[in-house]
Amino acid sequence: MENKITQLRKGILELAILGCLSRGRHYGYSLVRSISGDSDIDLTEGTIYPILGRLAKEGLVQSEWVESSQGPPRKYYTLTLKGEEAFRVLDEEFKKLAAIVSNARRKPAPGDQDENLNVLSVMKETANG
Amino acid sequence: MANGFSGPVAQIVDNYLERLKKGLKGIPLKDQEELVKEIHSHIYESYRADTAGDEVARILRVLDKLGEPANVISARMPEAMVTMGKKKKLPFYILAGVLIAFFGVPLGISGLSAAVGLIIGVLALIMSFYIVAFSLILTGWLTAVILIVRLFSPGFLDPWIDVYQLVPDPTLNTVIYIFGALLMAALGFGMFWLGTRMMRGVKFVFRVLFEKVKNWRKKAPAAAAAQ
Repeated sequence: MENKITQLRKGILELAILGCLSRGRHYGYSLVRSISGDSDIDLTEGTIYPILGRLAKEGLVQSEWVESSQGPPRKYYTLTLKGEEAFRVLDEEFKKLAAIVSNARRKPAPGDQDENLNVLSVMKETANG
Repeated sequence: MANGFSGPVAQIVDNYLERLKKGLKGIPLKDQEELVKEIHSHIYESYRADTAGDEVARILRVLDKLGEPANVISARMPEAMVTMGKKKKLPFYILAGVLIAFFGVPLGISGLSAAVGLIIGVLALIMSFYIVAFSLILTGWLTAVILIVRLFSPGFLDPWIDVYQLVPDPTLNTVIYIFGALLMAALGFGMFWLGTRMMRGVKFVFRVLFEKVKNWRKKAPAAAAAQ
């Protein structure tokens, strides 16, 4: 179960990072803050760095070091053109998938009558095929 | 390390960053330094934003939220290992490429001719084996038949056959020769029998080789697709 949650999170976290960056540049910590917001998801903050590294390698994000008025310099990330395109495509896909999941939750399980109909239609198909 | 913290907090941060560095061994040095710097920045920002409680409690909370160094590098390490593996293999690929570029065509032709020669050689060996077996049987039977005829009509085919006298009695001599001829034919049959046995073994070896090649060819595209 732990593994399934991790898998689900990784993909969605990637999309969330792209989404955040599509609205402006971020450094690691500010990205964590704006992703988790005031939700109670227990995000292991360190996991965003491997994702950022992978996105950079794929050419979807670029980064630059910027001096901070206080403390050490920050590494700011921005989307590349390729990254913006990727976000658009993935966001569309995610909306469709989210609709599927919510549909699946709303629809009641088929009753006995439905099942009979299904069986009949299958038989018809085999007779024709 | 001057990490912007002081006292026990600095020590705790140092310890964390050291463990991170240890985990990053194997990826390029520049990437290591950059990631450590980035995580350091993260710790600093997170620590600054969290103002509740004493310093040690704050930094521990910050590191707890950040997670173990393994989380920061988990997805990076396999990639690093893959690149390392590729780097090691690269000279061999180049060497192979150069060899093929310079000697590839001649190597291919001579390799082919060697294979063809080997197959022809094996076939010739098998054929000569069977020819020997066949001629042993033929000569053995033929000699036996002629000698049996000579047993009853001693002058049969006399001008062409000059039998060396092993024993003084000509009849016994012929009988000995008949036995010799039959033995020769039997030897030919024995060779045939041995040949079929040997062919079974050869066939088995060839079938195993063939299966191996077939499987290898089946697997090869799948492996290529997986990469």
